[in-house]
Amino acid sequence: MRILFFAQLKDVTGCDGIELAATAPLNCDRLWAELVKRFPALNAHRPNVRLARNWEYASPDAIFAGDDEVALIPPVSGG
Amino acid sequence: MEIEIQLTHEPIAEKISPPLPLGAHGAWLEFRGVVRGEEDGQTIRALEYQAYPEMAGREIRRLLQEISARHPCLAAKVIHRIGVIPVGETAIYVGVVSPHRGEAIALLAEFMDRLKQDVPIWKRRAIADGADSARRVTPCAPIEVRLPTSGGQGTARPTLKSLDEARAEICTHCRPLPAVRAPLAEAFGRVLRETVCAPEDLPSVDRATRDGYAICADDVSKTFSVVDTIHAADWKPRQLKPGETVRVATGAALPCSGLRVVMQEHVERDGDKLHVVRRENSTNVRLRGEEVRQGQPLVPAGTKLNAGALAILAMVGNVNPLVSPRLRILHLTTGDEIVPPDQTPKPGQIRDSNSILIRGLVQHFPCELLHAHLPEDFEKAKQSVSAFRLQPSAFDLLLVSGGASVGEKDFTRSFLEWLGFDIVFSQINLRPGRPLIFGVNGGAPVPRSSAATEGGSVPASRLVSSLAPPNKVRVAFGLPGNPLSHFVCFHFAVATALACLTGGEPPEFLRGQLAEKLDDKPCPRETLWPARLEWNDATPRLRPLAWTSSGDITCLTAANALVRVPANTSLLEQFAEVDFLPVTAMLGGGW
Repeated sequence: MRILFFAQLKDVTGCDGIELAATAPLNCDRLWAELVKRFPALNAHRPNVRLARNWEYASPDAIFAGDDEVALIPPVSGG
Repeated sequence: MEIEIQLTHEPIAEKISPPLPLGAHGAWLEFRGVVRGEEDGQTIRALEYQAYPEMAGREIRRLLQEISARHPCLAAKVIHRIGVIPVGETAIYVGVVSPHRGEAIALLAEFMDRLKQDVPIWKRRAIADGADSARRVTPCAPIEVRLPTSGGQGTARPTLKSLDEARAEICTHCRPLPAVRAPLAEAFGRVLRETVCAPEDLPSVDRATRDGYAICADDVSKTFSVVDTIHAADWKPRQLKPGETVRVATGAALPCSGLRVVMQEHVERDGDKLHVVRRENSTNVRLRGEEVRQGQPLVPAGTKLNAGALAILAMVGNVNPLVSPRLRILHLTTGDEIVPPDQTPKPGQIRDSNSILIRGLVQHFPCELLHAHLPEDFEKAKQSVSAFRLQPSAFDLLLVSGGASVGEKDFTRSFLEWLGFDIVFSQINLRPGRPLIFGVNGGAPVPRSSAATEGGSVPASRLVSSLAPPNKVRVAFGLPGNPLSHFVCFHFAVATALACLTGGEPPEFLRGQLAEKLDDKPCPRETLWPARLEWNDATPRLRPLAWTSSGDITCLTAANALVRVPANTSLLEQFAEVDFLPVTAMLGGGW
């Protein structure tokens, strides 16, 4: 699946996104565990970051798999 | 409620037409959010905004629909500018039409509150007044930002995208389409989307490489008894004892491991008895797993499948590989001066060479191409699209070839915007091909009907259905009308988009040497110069080809590369190191 980072999370990770080859579908906790394994600094942002799956905010029980596009959305500030 | 959403890098117009014709409705409410000259108590010159465009458009639509259920309105138009926005300019525009003012005011107020909570757009940083250093709104690494330069009347003028910026934008916006499973016979040229590994060792058993007699590798006997015969297709496992041998054919599966094969030329046979006359060092055996071990990657994801890669997939029985879908491309030509190639042009007219050029170029990507011609009059073109009843949601990519008889850029741009595209850039710093337009669908990509095995062509029912205006193609290019510009823009921009949409590697510039000097008048733009790529020992040599204008395609028979000439360069000497795009390699997936 494709993971995208936005705003300050681009700085935290140093990239716009990564491809995550998950062997099995992941719930939120497992997904975060995978991400923090790669980018330990992300963990500090977790309380303020919402996950989006395929261009919609994901519910807490969402499952992420296959070709999903997952975005880490830090607090927004548009308008 | 009718909803129109744009995310744009360009300044938002001073006047914006209402989302519905006025007269029947009581209220048209407009709101502009403007960049203030102060951020966190400091004077600033500009703010930089970033967005997650696919989701932002979708989220804005969702919010409007949700809020309008409580405050019924008739239509809303939302335009959010992103990128660097100077102080005093509009960052967001919202226009709402409703029967009475109360609904519009309530909807607007709630929408703006919710936008600031939910829509993935960020103020990335503030650019301080009177200083070059940028101050961050949120912690972020310093990145170079150029403010739009001021035009004659103090209005911001969009800067030309550099080639590298344009390419990065295309790569950002063109995401891989969902993969499908396709039979091998239909997979040529598609991009493999999962790494295919060996399901077992290859060869799967030890095999003989000579006609002869198999014996235990450490058996020093001089005389053997022949206990069996194994042909190429046989499978007869047995454990050989010392003094035993089996007759084997080239390619035959040996009955057990730990054997060697004595060539038939090196033995004397007498009935069931065998005398070994000579022994070689070679065992004459292809060992199990010698070529490939079980689980070893054979063809990596991202490979554009050529004949050889397909043969490997066949060898391991992967008959329905997961690959990029066959692309669906809609090509619209415009221009009243264009006549079909089989007609004689009147003075002032030219034959249409772009249609067949595009048809040929896209053949390097498995696709279905539909072509139609539009009159170069905006209203007539809109009517034509409605008359065709084309539904671009059935397409992954829209190409619009501009005509040259009226302002092609204005026409194509307006047309793409009418179709619902957000314009990412409308000019690039390229010769030939400056008025290249790139647009993306502001909404979320449309899921394909199914990710199951594909049929063949697009069903007609998906091509024709009523929709006005259609707005669901993922990405679109407006190609400048001159044919050489078409050729250059296709290879630089469209091929990049096609590679990204299929999940393959976008074409990269390579290094080579000029075979002859390139003498040109300096141009403030970068040039992609048609050239003939030849090999000299191991070095790619590029012979620049002559062209006189962006309409001159006489060089294209020989052109198989585009040399990148830096801006303001007058002379590149023979043997100068240059970057080039190798046209054939890029399209064919290999030299």
